[in-house]
Amino acid sequence: MSITTARHAPRRDVALLWHQIRYEQLSFWRNPQSAFFTFVFPVVLITIFGALFHSGGGSSYFYGLSALQYYVPTIAALSVLGSCYSQLAIVLSMRRQNGILKRVRATPLPAWAYFLGLLAHCIMISAVDVALITGIGSLFGMPLPTHWPAIALALVLGAASFCALGVAVASLIRNAEAAPAVVQLVLFPLLFISGTYMPIHSAVLNRISGALPVRPFNQALLGPFAQHTGFDWRNLAVLLAWGAAGAAIAIGRFRWNPRPQ
Amino acid sequence: MRTQVTSAAGMDTRAASRPGTPSASAVVVAGLRKSYGPVQAVRGVSFTVQRGEIFALLGPNGAGKTTILEILEGFRTRDAGRVDVLGADPGDRSEGRALRERIGLVLQDIAVEPYLTVRETIARNAGYYPASRDVGEVIRLVGLAGQERQKVRNLSGGQKRRLDLALGLIGNPDLLFLDEPTTGFDPNARRDAWEVVRNLRGAGTTIVLTTHYMDEAQALADRVAVISDGQIVATGTPATIGGRDHAQAQIRFVLPEGSTAADLPADATSVDGLVTMQTAEPTQTLHQLTGWALQRGTVLGQLTVDRPSLEDIYLRLTDHGAPESRPQRSTR
Repeated sequence: MSITTARHAPRRDVALLWHQIRYEQLSFWRNPQSAFFTFVFPVVLITIFGALFHSGGGSSYFYGLSALQYYVPTIAALSVLGSCYSQLAIVLSMRRQNGILKRVRATPLPAWAYFLGLLAHCIMISAVDVALITGIGSLFGMPLPTHWPAIALALVLGAASFCALGVAVASLIRNAEAAPAVVQLVLFPLLFISGTYMPIHSAVLNRISGALPVRPFNQALLGPFAQHTGFDWRNLAVLLAWGAAGAAIAIGRFRWNPRPQ
Repeated sequence: MRTQVTSAAGMDTRAASRPGTPSASAVVVAGLRKSYGPVQAVRGVSFTVQRGEIFALLGPNGAGKTTILEILEGFRTRDAGRVDVLGADPGDRSEGRALRERIGLVLQDIAVEPYLTVRETIARNAGYYPASRDVGEVIRLVGLAGQERQKVRNLSGGQKRRLDLALGLIGNPDLLFLDEPTTGFDPNARRDAWEVVRNLRGAGTTIVLTTHYMDEAQALADRVAVISDGQIVATGTPATIGGRDHAQAQIRFVLPEGSTAADLPADATSVDGLVTMQTAEPTQTLHQLTGWALQRGTVLGQLTVDRPSLEDIYLRLTDHGAPESRPQRSTR
């Protein structure tokens, strides 16, 4: 009866983590809303941009890139924001309000396994998103990027940082109804000043947005995607710093219980 | 009284300081206190739950039952007192995982992922435990056979509660907490749920439940603690609690035509022709009464003999002269 307790072999922990990732994936793909908002919005956006700009060459407005070369990486970044930051903040607020998080707490599943499971799930979804957008871009004549390791690193680091920020926002929001509004209120202006929808040619604005999380992520993807440069360490460092700040808030403030003590 | 209990519990805690160490008690609570701001929700509660028994915390809404349960489950911190659950302190996070592998919880609100099927939901939780029960067996046990492939969001309220119970059982717990397990059930579903709980006890599971239904405590519990205003006002078996077994029997009947209460062979009160007699010796009193009636060639209409019901005792124990604090009575 008690022989099996208090003995947690590392192999069992790995199996537990894999088990958790599988069920996060299953819950995600079964939910039509989450699948819709995570994939359809960025896919529609890149298809529109592709149809509009597929014949354009390089221009100084896009820093010497073609419009599509600019938009594939920024919309890819946008899709990662959606599947990590927005999705996680909203889903966790909902799960807390519904009492699902409290139920998770009632099982022996350790908190690290729950959050690592979510993180791995979000990275997988982000990878699918980025692959979709790159694929659609290539349909419109955009050449495939060559520096995959730099893209992979930016993707994983960006996804992890925006997951941490998503959990941080979920920790600060009190009720789930407010979650989508708060998430969008923070994200929308940030996307605009970070050049996601159009290039920004203001040095002052770029300096400000360069210290916020979205523009460094855009830049870290733009380089290896379109300009054939490699690892963008400076921007990756800014991203990592935001991720660490988000993680600190999440660890300090996260609640499992729907009602405060 | 309280110091005595505390020291006894102290010894118990030392003897069973490592999780998994066998001990006669599944749960020991001593001098437990919890306040929410100025409100004292739990005011010095002490009780012990033996292994293998069904223990009911009975009390009106807001009496502190759920707070006590949530402290035992590790969801809430306590202000003072000693709590020992299967030899571990539920407030100690470092022992949390080992403890949670051995306890099962069924909480008041239904909370399950809507898009998974019944089987998937139970199989997911099964993976969290080192030695879980068989998923199909648990589905049958809670009466969800045939619903395995249903999405959770298509289940009725009662079926969701059954799923919740299944999630509490899947880890094959030594100790199961049930917070108002049958609230909202129809009478048949309640009988079924009681049967499941009794079978679990039969298999050796210790069960701690809260309820405000008298008949539930009566039907299920080996021992009951009545809670009112954050304090335990009585403990005992459903048959003996509150001195129920020593209480005087009541004999009731309709006063025969042409007789008055003064004609009766023993002291009695009569209201609108309905006579009530209190007696410590119902055999003797009944003999006198029936002899008197036969002699006069009359009958004692609607004759009953009973003792105060658990509900009578409960209402007496939890009544503070404030009618609005009375519990919701079960509807029958």
